[in-house]
Amino acid sequence: MNGFLKRWTTPLALVATLVIGAAFAQGGTKGGNLVIAMNGNSEPASLDGQIDPYDSTDIIDTLVSDHLVWLNLKDGTPEPFLATGWQVSSDGSTWTFHLRQGVQFQDGTPFNAEAVKFNLDRIMNPANGSAQAASDLGPLESTDVTGPYTVVLHYKHPWNSLLNALAHIPMWSPTALKKYPKGEFDQHLVGTGPFKLEQWIPKDHVTFVRWNAYNWGPPGMNHKGPVYLHSVTFKFISEQLVRGTILNTPNADMVWDLPAQYYSRYSGNSTYKEIKTFQPGTGLQYVMNTTRPPLNSLKVRQAIRYAVDPVALNKLVYHGLYLPTYGPLNSVSPCYNPAVKSQFSYNPEKADSLLSEAGWKRTGNGVRKAEGVAGVPDGTPLDVTWVALSRQSLGEVLQAQLQQVGIDLKLKIVPGPVQLQMAQNKTYGLMYERQRTPSPFVLYQVWYSKNDVPGGWAWTGFSDPKLDPILEDIVTAPTAAKACSYAKEAQPIINKNAVQLPTLSEAMIFALKDTVKGFQIGKTQGERFYLYNTYVSK
Amino acid sequence: MTTYVIRRILQLVPVLLLVTLMIFMIMHLLPGDPVQLMLMGAEGGAVPPQRLAEMRQALGLDKPLWIQYLSFLAGAVTGNFGESIRFRSPVAGIIANRLPHTIALSVAGMAIAVIIGLSLGTVAAVWKNTWIDTFSMVISFVGVSMPIFWLGLLLILFFSIDLNWLPPTGTGGLPGLVLPAFTLGLVSAALISRLTRSSLLEVMDEDFVRTARSKGLTGWAILVRHVARNALIPVITIVGLQFGNMLAGTVVTETVFSRPGLGRLVVNAILWKDYPLVQGSILVLATIYVAVNLLVDLSYVWIDPRIEYL
Repeated sequence: MNGFLKRWTTPLALVATLVIGAAFAQGGTKGGNLVIAMNGNSEPASLDGQIDPYDSTDIIDTLVSDHLVWLNLKDGTPEPFLATGWQVSSDGSTWTFHLRQGVQFQDGTPFNAEAVKFNLDRIMNPANGSAQAASDLGPLESTDVTGPYTVVLHYKHPWNSLLNALAHIPMWSPTALKKYPKGEFDQHLVGTGPFKLEQWIPKDHVTFVRWNAYNWGPPGMNHKGPVYLHSVTFKFISEQLVRGTILNTPNADMVWDLPAQYYSRYSGNSTYKEIKTFQPGTGLQYVMNTTRPPLNSLKVRQAIRYAVDPVALNKLVYHGLYLPTYGPLNSVSPCYNPAVKSQFSYNPEKADSLLSEAGWKRTGNGVRKAEGVAGVPDGTPLDVTWVALSRQSLGEVLQAQLQQVGIDLKLKIVPGPVQLQMAQNKTYGLMYERQRTPSPFVLYQVWYSKNDVPGGWAWTGFSDPKLDPILEDIVTAPTAAKACSYAKEAQPIINKNAVQLPTLSEAMIFALKDTVKGFQIGKTQGERFYLYNTYVSK
Repeated sequence: MTTYVIRRILQLVPVLLLVTLMIFMIMHLLPGDPVQLMLMGAEGGAVPPQRLAEMRQALGLDKPLWIQYLSFLAGAVTGNFGESIRFRSPVAGIIANRLPHTIALSVAGMAIAVIIGLSLGTVAAVWKNTWIDTFSMVISFVGVSMPIFWLGLLLILFFSIDLNWLPPTGTGGLPGLVLPAFTLGLVSAALISRLTRSSLLEVMDEDFVRTARSKGLTGWAILVRHVARNALIPVITIVGLQFGNMLAGTVVTETVFSRPGLGRLVVNAILWKDYPLVQGSILVLATIYVAVNLLVDLSYVWIDPRIEYL
């Protein structure tokens, strides 16, 4: 017996070691340090998503903070997360949320009703200057704590987009919020999420590390508890060439916002994976100034719509990767009405005849000139000023397309504050205005005539007595489904009046090395991605 | 000497006052309302006028301009430049975070510029009118005429993407500094080399050089001990000015190599009309620029004992 043991002990131990080692190796592959190269121009000014308005802040915050509501990755349906359930009063203005128990923030502070109230009150306090979150929470009057794990939100009127808002608003530890001044908190984010903020060097990188005490998780994932990744680093890279080529080096595992011209570098190569997604919302639209000639004329506005070919624009500027857009909402928006597509189609001949009818005459291939146009001296050339924050090349192609019908499009690239001032002073012809949200509320923001005030997003001076009540209904509808049906009603009215030039919707392209596994994107959530199931196998 | 230094430091006060006043006026003349941009954000909603007014009041932007300017000055004296409108955090802290990266890049860039510039200029002067001279000056011409962003991108493509030797971005220690410093330094190197060459040639024709040669000194000794010291003053002046320019002018290099720094910070702050950040950053940059030039002036005494400041 002893001899047998002596003879077999070593080989048995070896086999056992190999088996255990293999098991560990199996688990060990689900880890890694993920390095994401992201567009440096999208780097948040603040990482605090309760204050800063950017999409990138929201996405980065999902690492550190869980949300009260989870959006189903397949269809965007709101599901319980930190809130285990909710009820809304019959008039739609009182919401009761029941919270998950046993959750704590990364600093040990318990997550409960008091914490939720503290966060919501912070957002609604004007002194904190919340841009997006306060707007998303809407006309919230008060938040009451009615039990250790129950909060009640009281609204001035029904607020049907609340669940969507709560799926984006991060929840921070009240202890940490009290400890750090507002300007410093974003260097010390403390949430209930699966990653902890380790270091943020602005304009360089931000790194998060796994929080091992995380023992819950979002619905629909393949596991609960801590995430697989050891760390996630976002490198901020503004230069397109570098972002476009960095996957060929060991310096990044994934590119978030790959420039379209570099798409072909990776597509068809099995060592990389490309994911293309579109953000619901308005797309890259240019709203029209209807308060002064020439765009105060419906015929001129319609002519511009007929003269622009989004498909050609897409091919010329973005290699056909973007999404042609035909109305006030793009086709990936949940409340999109496909009827808008048939209202205008590329037809330069029709554009020509509309312009002639409007009194803008043309000799040869030159720029049209006014002949009997009300409020315009005869002989005035038909020029329209296009104002945007960027995308000069898109403007140049629009310029060429409009030149075909005798419109001289003058291009102006301006910084944000100048854009806002020009919009309010109505010193533009076509003005870039893109809103990225799945909520139909965006139509109210951009087209409700009373929002044409300083601080509002309605810039065109357009007002329609039939449209305004429908837009009000979108906001006050008791349910999201009802709001959606009003939005579908509003779109053809806006589109028929040709008060905006829809062009394309930006493709958000992710490129990943094939070592990155389990990367997830919500289907109706634009570029919002999740790393809960992600790991890097090396 | 001490009196001179004190006098120069006192002269700084009106210079910096003028700089801050000009920046303040220009920023307020530019169109746009930073508060709207701040509250409306990228996706925003309609911001009620009352909320805009509250925020303007909170930031002190509702006060008369001269009061805003004076309160900025009062804060600046104690190092408090206020809170950035865009970043919602103290300007002094933001500048303190960015400044070391800018200084590291500028110092490294200038070191490369001086090494390459002095070497090329000296070689060209010593072997005047030979192929070596022509070659050195062609290189310096190329350096002067090459756009920084183009050179930076080429270096990234070759050394980072193709060869994988150096990181293409970031602040990751010395390796991350090599390419940006070389990119930044090459243009200044070209200027320094041309100035070094002409300055050396001018001094080489002086009588005292002939005397030194007739004393039997070697060429090397004449160059280092007699020619270089006399020829260095214009070179050092240009090095000082270039260093000052580098501090604020690194914006292209910082953008291409995705590095944090004051240059990029100021450009973005101007676009956002972030008054406190622009004012604070420009004040810091102006102070450094003037201080560097003061050091250059003082270095003349060390290089040329004939110079004396009273």
